[in-house]
Amino acid sequence: MPQCNVYTMDSKRIEAEALFKLVEQLYGGRLSEAELEEVRKGVERIVETSMELRGVELGNWDEPFSVFTPYRRRRI
Amino acid sequence: MRPVYASIRQLSEAMISGEVSPVELTETFIARLREYGPRLNAVVTVTEKRALREARKAQQEIKEGRHRGPLHGVPYGGKDLLATRGIPASWGAAPLKDQVFKYDATAIRKLKRAGAVLCAKLAMIELAGGMGYRQPNASFTGPCATPWSLGHWSGGSSSGSGAAVAAGLVPFAIGSETWGSILSPANNCGVSGLRPTYGRVSRHGAMALSWTLDKLGPLCLMADDCGLVLEAMAGYDPRDMTTDRKPYRYEQVEGEFKLGVPRDALEETQEPVARSFKESLRVLEKFVVVEKVDFPEFPYEAVTRTILNAEAASAFDEFTEKGLARSLTAPEDHYGPYARTVVLAKDYLKALRLRERMARIAEDVMGGYDAIVAPSRRAVASPIDQEFRKVAPGTAKDIMGAVGNGAGLPAVSVPNGFSDEGLPTGIQFMGRAYDENRVLSVAVEYQRRTDWHRRHPPAFEA
Repeated sequence: MPQCNVYTMDSKRIEAEALFKLVEQLYGGRLSEAELEEVRKGVERIVETSMELRGVELGNWDEPFSVFTPYRRRRI
Repeated sequence: MRPVYASIRQLSEAMISGEVSPVELTETFIARLREYGPRLNAVVTVTEKRALREARKAQQEIKEGRHRGPLHGVPYGGKDLLATRGIPASWGAAPLKDQVFKYDATAIRKLKRAGAVLCAKLAMIELAGGMGYRQPNASFTGPCATPWSLGHWSGGSSSGSGAAVAAGLVPFAIGSETWGSILSPANNCGVSGLRPTYGRVSRHGAMALSWTLDKLGPLCLMADDCGLVLEAMAGYDPRDMTTDRKPYRYEQVEGEFKLGVPRDALEETQEPVARSFKESLRVLEKFVVVEKVDFPEFPYEAVTRTILNAEAASAFDEFTEKGLARSLTAPEDHYGPYARTVVLAKDYLKALRLRERMARIAEDVMGGYDAIVAPSRRAVASPIDQEFRKVAPGTAKDIMGAVGNGAGLPAVSVPNGFSDEGLPTGIQFMGRAYDENRVLSVAVEYQRRTDWHRRHPPAFEA
């Protein structure tokens, strides 16, 4: 099994910048410069948090901890 | 008897004996809600008409010997994120302040069935803090104060629920916690607050912040009251498929208790918090075994934070897209929801996959113990006009909060002392899933040996 990707400062910056650009494109018209700067910091924190998760290796068989139950109005 | 600051059992006995009636009790607490509520910014709506209707019914039933249990005729308040038929449920948010539902939340329905009397909808941080507020003035009702000092914050997001109980405006209140929203006001207001196991109480009719993290629970004067209220609220609900099918009964657990204290429990805690905690351990060591424990390295906070961010982004998608955040009270909430719109699906799913590992780690660490004990918060209540992270800066991780909420574990916070300026400190007992009775039993015994929960803010004493 290959090792998890090692994220560098550069890759974090690139990802944060790309995601911030998306937010800016979608919502920039609603926000002031100062507010956008706060959003940028928020996106950087989210990327930082995601990198922490990505640093942990999981097996293909490790499922999300949520149970989906198929639905029918009445059980047969 | 003096009904204000009486326990639920005392109130119940007084009503059965005829010493006081449900209507008298309701009138007493409604008068206090009206008089003191505005000073604290703790109350959104006094539900007088409904309360008197429920109180008269309870009075008649008790008179006829049809007693429903310990909550019968007992007044209470509900956090304003709970749907209440025909009564506004503002979610603390200015743009939603006139929102009215045509039904009661299941928790409210169950309390009604137990005979409890809804007297007020209580203030809360707008959208339960889901927009990323940083200071107390984040509700259209204004910043909520702790009754111990009007210049200090009640905690949040169940702000009014903590403040109203501490000020004796209601005997108990319902709050909700996604990450810290019951334990924080319990700590800051010096009351007892129980965060139940995820799925113990139906979330139907409660505002969703994060579907897999949200829990409803009681804030009361003492841990024993929390157990009584939980029993009335808990249970399976077909409207919330995550509710546990096994009925919950509150009962004391006998035997010798063993508690674990995280080795870094006092990391970056304020001095009064550390002092109170060490004193509490001395009290606890008289009836429990206390050992140091370690949570192994793991991105606990990242897991819970990512789940919260992604689910909140979805839960408030329409609200955000309509630009309603601009109408919220806290300036930081105007832009708060936008960053998290770009949490990647693969990261959310990774967090959900890691959640199972986190739950297993918690079970391994906690397996040998009845509860893990730690300060409820690292700091006492912050000044009401300041950003709380600036007042109590630090880099210490909130592992108890991340694990407890991420893995859906129960915890009870009870008061355990005061700072030199008279602000309460709290201690939390966190248990394994479905172990509410165990953590409550330890807390009840702790409260038998201490009197912190019997101290009340002098400005609000009856």
